[in-house]
Amino acid sequence: MITGLDRDAVAESVKRVVIAESRLSLKPADIDDHEPLNGEILRVNSLGFVGMLVRLEDELDIVLPDDLFVGRSFETVHDLIEIVLLGAEASQ
Amino acid sequence: MTEAILTSARAALAAAPPTGDPAYERYCRELAKRLAAHWPAVLDANAQDLARAEERGLSPVLLDRLRLTDAHLGRLEHLTEAVLNELGRVTARDPGVPIGDWGVRLRSPKPLGVVFMVYEARPTVTVEGALLPVAVGNAVLLRGGKEIARTNEALSAVAREALEAAGLPAHLVTVLDDPDRAQLRALLKRPDAVDVLIPRGSPSLIDYCRSASTIPVIASGGGVNHVYVHKSADLGLAAEVALDSKLPEPTACNTAEMMLVDAEVADDLVAAVLHAAERDNRQVTVRLDPRVPRPGGEAGGDSGAGGERPWRIDELQEHDLGREFLDATIGVRAVEGLDEALAHIRRHGSGHTEGVLAADRGVSEEFTRRVDAAAIVVNGSLRLHDGPTLGLGSEISISTGRMHVRGPVTLGSLVTHSWVVEAHGTLRSSVTAHRP
Repeated sequence: MITGLDRDAVAESVKRVVIAESRLSLKPADIDDHEPLNGEILRVNSLGFVGMLVRLEDELDIVLPDDLFVGRSFETVHDLIEIVLLGAEASQ
Repeated sequence: MTEAILTSARAALAAAPPTGDPAYERYCRELAKRLAAHWPAVLDANAQDLARAEERGLSPVLLDRLRLTDAHLGRLEHLTEAVLNELGRVTARDPGVPIGDWGVRLRSPKPLGVVFMVYEARPTVTVEGALLPVAVGNAVLLRGGKEIARTNEALSAVAREALEAAGLPAHLVTVLDDPDRAQLRALLKRPDAVDVLIPRGSPSLIDYCRSASTIPVIASGGGVNHVYVHKSADLGLAAEVALDSKLPEPTACNTAEMMLVDAEVADDLVAAVLHAAERDNRQVTVRLDPRVPRPGGEAGGDSGAGGERPWRIDELQEHDLGREFLDATIGVRAVEGLDEALAHIRRHGSGHTEGVLAADRGVSEEFTRRVDAAAIVVNGSLRLHDGPTLGLGSEISISTGRMHVRGPVTLGSLVTHSWVVEAHGTLRSSVTAHRP
């Protein structure tokens, strides 16, 4: 993917927020890219997205579109990373 | 826009009568009355929100969080009545304490000011926010999730109508209808105009409010709660406490996540928990420390065979330590006594609610001395930790903060005070002589 954002930085930020959102005491490195967002380890629901979005925007110094998640399917951390990369690119 | 919102809220705060004025009692009554009168309209608006959320593919569990029913109206009416009854206690005139032979000092309750509540998609929080802070004289800004925008609009109209009927400024309640996160950020950067921030909802939201704003925050840090079961404990009671602390509201912040049990009684505790679950057909998943023998041995298996039993056993994983399961799952971990339990709680607990079960009074006293949490429950369910149950009054949240309020955030926590010094003509120079 062509983007001005460092994918590793995005991945680390996304993992940090989904860990916080799932109320876990883990490090980003403990989460695999293909970990389900709602599975054995992570518990992320869409009502928590406001908090996740503002944290991601601040951490990555980007502005994400309000409708970032509308009409998109995302099941894993990898999906979320890709959506954030796309959203950041679209808003640039 | 942000400026106009803040100006209106601060003007309403300035124009509002003092805390304890009869207008606030009228407001509680009017709010209850108008909620009932407009409930069909609120339900219509809520149905629109639900339809939209369903279109967006929200899960049934999340849809349930958005949904209002007649049962909610009953609970909200009960809440307004409870708040009305509690107002006198919070606003009663302080009889004062004599100061030497020259005066009297007393406290006079004052509102915290403009309270900014940020929350997600629970419409009942809109009513709680329009009720508790306002009943003691605060102005509130309420920012709920956009998933409940129409419901909030309807509830906003009810609150405004009630304020006007009570003779209070209408802008004491402002429901923010702009879903733009820029407005949220702008408000968080206004400690000059917003006095208190009360975030309720996801951990990311609360963490963000804590870290991105210098406005004082009243918030819960989440409930990674434990129950330590000492070997002297009544294990039948421990099993009941485990289930009662978890199952009725598995996602609440005062539920138990982990039983830390003395190793020598761990297998007996697990047996007691499963027995109690089976007896009352209570569905529960136990994540069991591999050091604790599984009931029935290795072949004891994962669950009641063929789903005949309501319990399931999974292996406790490293990542389960310090987590909130957010469902009907409870961990069981064996410990070698109180010190190990305390070390685990210090490392993984969130300072919300911790519990100890012990017949040995010395153990429970040691536990309460050494554990630092908003509430510590001795020989009982962790879910006892809420304002009404503890007799503290209605609450708007449970705080894990260390300043101003810790535990249930009741009406009394939504006011500050002025010291009133009745000096009877005393001059400072005449008092100096009496100082030690």
